[in-house]
Parts: sequence; C-alpha cells; structure tokens
Amino acid sequence: MLSAAGRDDGARLQTRGKAGIITRMTKRTIAGQRAAALVLVSALAFIGGSFAGEPLTLDPSISPTDLTGNIQVWGWNIAAASLEKLVPPFNDIYPRVIVHVNMTGAYLQSRFLLSLSAGVGAPDVSQLQLAEAARYSRTRRLTDLTPVARKYEKDFPASFWKNCVFEGRIHAIPWDMGPCAVFYKRDLFRRYQIDPASIETWDDYIGAGRLLLERSGGQTKMLQLSTGNMEGLFEILLQQNAGQMFDDEGRIAINSPQAVRVMSVIQRILEAGINANITPYSHASYASMKSDLVATYPTAAWFGGTIKDYAPETKGDWGVFRLPAMERGGLRTSNLGGSVLVIPDQCSQKAAAWAFIDYTLCTREAQIEQYRNFDLFPAFLPIHGDPFFDEPDPFYGGQKVRRLFSQDIERIPPLNRTKDWFEALRYLTQSLSKWATNGMGPPEEFLAQLEDKLSRRLGRDIAPQAHLEGS
Amino acid sequence: MVAREERYYRRRRKAGRLLTHFLMICLAAAFIFPFYWLLISAFKAKEQIFTLPPQFLPHPWLLRNFVKVFHETNIVRAFFNSTVIAAGHCTLSVFLCSLAGYAFAKFPNAPGRNKLFAFVLATMMIPGAVTLIPVFVVLCKVHAINTYWAMILPGAAGAFGIFWMRQYIIDSVHNDLIDSARIDGCGEFGIYWRIVVPIVKPALAALGILSLIGVWNNLMWAFIVLRTDDMLTLPLVIYLLNGELRTPYETIMAASLIATLPLVVAFLLFQRQFIQGITAGAIKG
Amino acid sequence: MSSVAARRNSLRSRIWRHRHFYLFISPFFVLFGIFGLYPLLFSFYLSFARWDGLTELTWAGLGNFAALVHDEVFFTSLWNTFAIGVLYVPPMFIGAFVFAIILNTTWLKFRAFFRAAFFMPVVTPMVVVAIVFILLYGQEAGLINYLAARMGFQPIPWLVSEQWSKPAIALLLVWRWTGYNMVLMLAGLQGISNEYYEAARIEGAGAFQRMWHITLPLMRPIFIFCSIMSLIGTVYMFDEVFVLTQGGPGTSSTNFGLYLFNVSFVDFKFGYASCMAYTVAFFVFITSLFILRLRRSELT
Repeated sequence: MLSAAGRDDGARLQTRGKAGIITRMTKRTIAGQRAAALVLVSALAFIGGSFAGEPLTLDPSISPTDLTGNIQVWGWNIAAASLEKLVPPFNDIYPRVIVHVNMTGAYLQSRFLLSLSAGVGAPDVSQLQLAEAARYSRTRRLTDLTPVARKYEKDFPASFWKNCVFEGRIHAIPWDMGPCAVFYKRDLFRRYQIDPASIETWDDYIGAGRLLLERSGGQTKMLQLSTGNMEGLFEILLQQNAGQMFDDEGRIAINSPQAVRVMSVIQRILEAGINANITPYSHASYASMKSDLVATYPTAAWFGGTIKDYAPETKGDWGVFRLPAMERGGLRTSNLGGSVLVIPDQCSQKAAAWAFIDYTLCTREAQIEQYRNFDLFPAFLPIHGDPFFDEPDPFYGGQKVRRLFSQDIERIPPLNRTKDWFEALRYLTQSLSKWATNGMGPPEEFLAQLEDKLSRRLGRDIAPQAHLEGS
Repeated sequence: MVAREERYYRRRRKAGRLLTHFLMICLAAAFIFPFYWLLISAFKAKEQIFTLPPQFLPHPWLLRNFVKVFHETNIVRAFFNSTVIAAGHCTLSVFLCSLAGYAFAKFPNAPGRNKLFAFVLATMMIPGAVTLIPVFVVLCKVHAINTYWAMILPGAAGAFGIFWMRQYIIDSVHNDLIDSARIDGCGEFGIYWRIVVPIVKPALAALGILSLIGVWNNLMWAFIVLRTDDMLTLPLVIYLLNGELRTPYETIMAASLIATLPLVVAFLLFQRQFIQGITAGAIKG
Repeated sequence: MSSVAARRNSLRSRIWRHRHFYLFISPFFVLFGIFGLYPLLFSFYLSFARWDGLTELTWAGLGNFAALVHDEVFFTSLWNTFAIGVLYVPPMFIGAFVFAIILNTTWLKFRAFFRAAFFMPVVTPMVVVAIVFILLYGQEAGLINYLAARMGFQPIPWLVSEQWSKPAIALLLVWRWTGYNMVLMLAGLQGISNEYYEAARIEGAGAFQRMWHITLPLMRPIFIFCSIMSLIGTVYMFDEVFVLTQGGPGTSSTNFGLYLFNVSFVDFKFGYASCMAYTVAFFVFITSLFILRLRRSELT
C-alpha cells in the first residue's frame, strides 16, 4: 500500500549503505525492502545516463542542392547577428536548407542545458564559449564531429583545437577568437608624450602608466581594472605565459612559477595605482571609452566591436599596440574569449546542421564576412593571408590592426579548461578580490591557498610541483 | 451648547471621512496606475514609450504592436497551452482534493484515517524548492518534459486543498444525506459525484481559482520544463521576448496585455470567489 | 480460530469495507509519492553528492556543506533576502492593515472598487508586473524618475545601481502584495464580533485602546499567517527578481530563490543546490515554528 511509503523512509535510508545515516529504525517489511530496492535501482538508473551518440557521417550521395533541412541556430549578441547575415549566401549553396537564427539571449546557457538534460528542445546548432566546450563535450550529448571535422585540424590554432577535443573526439568547431593586444587612445598618448612603440614588456607598460599618471596629474589612468573583476587580465597573462589552471590530467596546477609571475604583474599594477577601479560592462565603463579617464584597454580583439557600439564617435582616435610580454622577446599575444559551434546529439538534421557550420566557420568567404561586418576575429587560420588583414582600418587611424592581431596566434599556448573552468574562474575572481582588498600578500601564499581551495571545492587532486616547471 | 459641540464633532468626522476617501482614491489610483501604463504602452508607437515627458495618452492609438506580437511570437498557441494546462491542473486539483477531502470527512471508521490525515497535513511543510531538481530529473527520465503533464501533475494534489475541502464538507454536507443515499444503493463514487459535489460547488470554485492563479502565472517551472516554442505558456512567451541586443518593449507590452486580460477580467467578474479562495487558507490555517 | 486471527480478520475486513476511502485518497498519495516524497529523499541524498544531471554522480560527503559555509554569494543572497524583506514587509503590513481597517468601516463607499483596485496586482502575471516596472524605473525615461525630477529630486538609478536594486524590488513587492494581505486581514477583522467593541465602548475605551486590546490580539492568527507567508515568499521569491534585475547589478539583488535557481538550472550543480535548499528550508522551518509559537501566548 502506498500509504506505507511514509513509514519506510528508515528502511530505504538504511539500504543506501554509503549514506551511513540512519534517521530512524523502523519495522522493515518485505514490501518495504522491495520498495527500497526499487527506488535505489531507479535512482541509479537515473544517475548513470551517459551515452555517446554515433559519430557524424555524411551521405556523399546527397548534393548540396538536394540537402533539405529546417534548422534552429542559437547564438547571442553580434555573433548571432553575424550568422543571420550569412544565411542568404549559405542558401545560395544549399537552397533547400532553411535556417532560423534565434537571438534570444535570455539565459541561453540555462535553456541549452535544460534541453540537453531533457533530450528535447535543443537547437540544431548552438554557439558556446570556447571555455565551456570541454564541459559540454563531457556530457556526451554533443554530436561527435570527428569524421567530418578531422580535416580542419590544421586550420585552427592548436590552443583552440585542444579545447574542442574530448577523449580524442572532436565535438566543437572553433569560430572566433580573442587575440589580445592593447587598445590605446592616440590623443591621450600624444598629449602626455607616451610612445606606444616603447612598450614591449609589462615593466614598460607599468612604467608608462606611472608617467601617464604623473603627467596628467592623476586624471588619466593607464587601464581599467576593478579589484572585483581581475580574472580577465589574469587569464590573459596566464595563457600568455603558459600557465595552467588544470594540468593535462585535470589536476589543479595553478600554483606554478608562471602564475607567480602573473600575480606579480597584477600586484605591481595595483601598487602603482595606474588602474581605474571600474567594473567592466558597466555604465561607467562605457563612459570611460569616451572620456579621458582611461588610456588603454589590454584586452581581446572583440573589444573593438564594443568600442564601435558604445562610442562610435571616437572613430579614428584609437590605436593598437602589441600586448606587452613578460620579458623582452617573449610572446606578445594571448587569447581571451572565443566561441565555438556545436551540434547537440538530439538534433535530427545533422547533415543540414553540419552544412551550416561547415559554411560559416570553415570557408574563407564566410569568415571574412564575419570579420568585416561584425568584428569577429576568425580562428580560421587559412584566411589570415587574405588582403583584408592588410587593409588600414580608419577606426584605428588607418593602422593595420588586423595584421597585428593575427601575429603569432599559432604560438599561443593551449589552456586546459575541463568542465570546471567557470567554477574555478569564479573562485579565482573571489580570491583575487579578497587578496587585493586585504593588502595583497605574497603571490606564493595566495596561490597556495587558491590551489587548496580549488582542490577542495572541485574535488580534484593537486598536480605535483615537478610537473609545473618550465612551460 | 451640546448641539453645537455635536455639530462640530459631526463636521470633523465628516471632514475626516472625506479626507480618507480622497486619500484612498489617490492610493487606489496609484495601485491601478501600472495597469493603466501597461494598457496605453501596448497601444503606443515604439518611440513614444520612452519619450520625455511621458505621454499619458497614446497619440494615436496603434494596433501595430499587436500585429507584431502575432507575427513574431506564437501567442495564440501560448494562450492555448496556458488554457489547457490551467484547465488540466485546476480540474485535476479540484477533483483530487475534493475526493480526498470527502473521504477524510465522511469515513470516520476507516482504520488509520486520522494518522493518514495527519500525514497529509504534515506534507504541507515540505518546501517546494527542495523538490525542484528531483522532479525535473524524474520528468526527464520518463520523457514527460515538454508535455502538458509536466506542468499539470506536480502540485496537483495539494494538502491544503484536501484540508480545506474536508473542512467545508464536514460543515456543509449532512450525514443523513449520505446515509440515505447509501441505503438507496448509490455507489460511493456516485454519492461523491451526485450529492457532495453539487453542495460544495462554491468551495470548488474558490479552490479552482486559487489553483488557476498559481499555474497560469507560473514562470519558473514553465521555464524549466517547457522546451520548445510550441509548448510555451503566456508568461514564458513574454519573458522570452527579452532579446539581448534590444528589448522590444512595444511588443512585450502588447503581449503582456493579452496575457493579463483573462485573469483580470475573470477576477473582476468573480471577485467574491477569488477572495474566498485566498482567505480560506488564512482563516483555517 | 484464535482471537489474534479474529482480530486480523476484522482489520482486513474493515479495510475492505472502507475500501473506497483508501481509493479516494490514493491519488493524493500516488502524486505525493512521485512529486513529494521521492524528490524529498532524492534531494537529501543529492546533498551529499556532486552531480550535474548529465554526467556521472560522485560522492562528496560533507563537501557541499563545507563549500556552502564558504560561499560568499550564498551569504550575500541571504542578506539580500533579509534586506528586501525588511524593506518591504513593514510598509506592506501597515498598509494592508490600514486599508483593511478602512475597508471594514461602515461608512466607506465604493468598497468593492477599492478591494478590486488593491487586489488586482495579485492576479497579474509576475512577468508583466516586472516588465511594467522596468518601464517605470527606467533611468532617464522612466516615469518615476520623471516625477521625482519634477518635484525637485535627483533621478534614482533604480535598476543599474547596486544600492537601489533592492529598494526597486521592495517597492514592486509592496505594490503587489499589499492587496493580498489586505484581503486576508479584512477577513480577519470581519471575524471579530462587534460585541467586543460594544462592550469596550460601553466601558469607555477609546479608539486606540479598542485597537490595542481587542483588534490586535484577535488578529494575531492572521498576522502570524501573513508573516509566515511573507517569510516563505521572500526567501523563495523568483519571478520578480528574475525578470526585474536578474539578481543584479552584480549580486546586489540576488535573493535566495534566484540563487538557488542559478545554482540548479544555470550552473547545473544539483548536489550543491540540494544541499543549499535543504539547509535553508531547515532554517525557514525553524523560523516558522518560532513565529507559530507566538500564537500560543495568552490572549488578553
């Protein structure tokens, strides 16, 4: 009788040996034990649900003009707009594939995950951040694209490709990336006689910041950096210098000499007082693009799109110089952000979905269009030789910024992400914030504490020190 | 002397009452104002929604926002979905609660009755928040996600409803009626259906309305379990109109008006039942 | 046949005789078993595990609880919940009570109109309410700031400032729930028999004394009910925050309901979310019991 359900709690909890918590001993009936077993089995059945779908294979007999489909594509912001713009040229090649680009950004990740869990409602193609590709690949709810995508491996930077591969299988295709450099306001540099060409290392950068502060009487800061949001800069520096949050086995590897160097740069920036304490993507931040408060923005290429959106009237006054290296001659670029496209395994029109991804991400004309119209810096290497990259950009006073951004991107070291990347990033952000407001203790100590915290919260081991020497 | 004092106090009282009426009207106006703003915004042109000084009357009244709503969203389908879900949930809830309430009220000799009822009451203490994830998981596994059942079943049998129906039935259904029906050979379910239900109709209505408000306006659970465009309910459709690049307020306002009108109209028509449903909980609870 | 057997027969036959009883209550128990009891237990189990619903479940022991203790956002959400509650509950209660008293008087005209006007916010979908308030709160073009400017005040950055996001939500809640509580209190007032007031008036008690000694004590059950409803509502409130501020800017208006949702269905940390839900539910339960105890004290 179901009314016995209430009385059998104790029996049920007892059979879950691992829990080891027995709230109350009650009289076990045969029915109670059977019910308990049923519940346990069903619970385990619920939990175990991982399955890997079939790798995607295409039917070669279907030509592009014959391929039919009606696919939903999810993306956010300008990326989605960019895909939408590519639909007409896509339809020139695949006339019978209808594409709907859905631009509802509201809680996209949540809706995507809910649909993946439920097995229904996921789009045929979805945008994901590069940094979360690992997390989604691991769920085994994404289509294995290896057979059709393998040929593109050399066409994308190694650092990107690594995040798209899970257990040797390709689950995501890189789309745009965020090669890093420093955006600066020409007017301010002219006014205070700072020469961008003289900034080659972070030491130079901090020195220039100090000069700027002095010469402007404290009015102009070198960069915006709020102590509560330092993870962006940290990630840029970490990847630039081959540091890792996780090692190849997924162990916590943050406490490394590279990370110590990263921390010391941040510490010196804060100590010099050359940062404006503005939260990114805030009112104040957008305002600072137009004012004299902040002189430089060391960030990724997509930031150009943000400037053009929020401060279009500053056209012509911007310039870009290469990211300062840790030491003279070191790597002068890094990566921040970047997206990929994936096909959820529940998609019933994988051929059509793949056709769309293939066109938008792996063809030169589509990637050039995206860069040209929406400032999405393509991760697709073959087009970096295109003359478009050598065109002067009037927004940056005629500077050839595209060529600048594309330099050395194959040399960017890969950054291991794992499924816990964003959670780890959150702990990093909180810890950095506390560290900055509590007097900035020695980096080694900070990293040791962070390492411990990450290990406990994420349930991962700490990588042995020996692994972390060198790059 | 006394008469003059009386007149003075009477005048003061009248002034006081006049003032109170005036203040109440102002406050009521303040409370109604957002509805008014919703109404006129739905008919305003996009540019007019955010102009300064604010326009208190659309100039002119436009229907184009509504056209946009029908164009850009499947609001008709959403209305249908909301209705089906509401009807299903309310009917199921009312039916189950009255049936169980009747059982608990009129079967005094059933073994374990009191303990079972105590158990039912105890379940009222379970916070829904704790059950969200497992219910989601269960629905996923039985592939009930994105179906009407996912919205109808959870919460359909509420302990409060049972409690209230039981109370109402105890108060208003006389045992003689039931006994004579039994003697006449009427089946138990027949007694419930033909005798009890007609008597407790007001309570059913109030309970149904309470249920209705809860499920019609539900956003969170709908967001979680309704996964495709054709299954969305009205609140979800409105919420999902929020784009990232630009929020089309004019469309949202029109859609919101469409979503709000049914309940507001129902409320205005059935005020008493609404209030009764709400207050029942407090009085007995 | 032994007497034991006779008794057992009698029980079974009694159950059979009353089989319709069990039949009629079984739907509740079936539904409760699936959607109440099983989730309750599974959720408890999840509190000790790490699971994202998509990959494998791993045991975490007390790890989730340890993480909870160090979770700054969790404590921020609790603080925010408390702050929002403090901001909106007192004005709402007072307003509801005053309105209820006024609506209860014999001389008020347009009673049904007032009742409808104040109660209407309750039947409106929360989404709609929040969106309308977004319009009203708009920083440059919002009506509220416009009126404030006309009266000489500075425009308030309702939704973009960390200081004002909570008051923004609180104001919305006052608007929404005053009518609801008013109706409840009105029912309570109407339940107080006039004889008490007559007797008091005869004994020369003034209006204030009548309020203090008769109305307030007799309204205590209603007040307690409203308090518990407000407590639970504020803690688990979701729609308002979700639509109006998404918990922002930053985490300044993230209440517990939103944070729980974020951890459950955005981060998909089922184990941690269950742990959090249970912990808070426990404390809400204790607080409710505490409030209920106030009922036990003597009525004057």
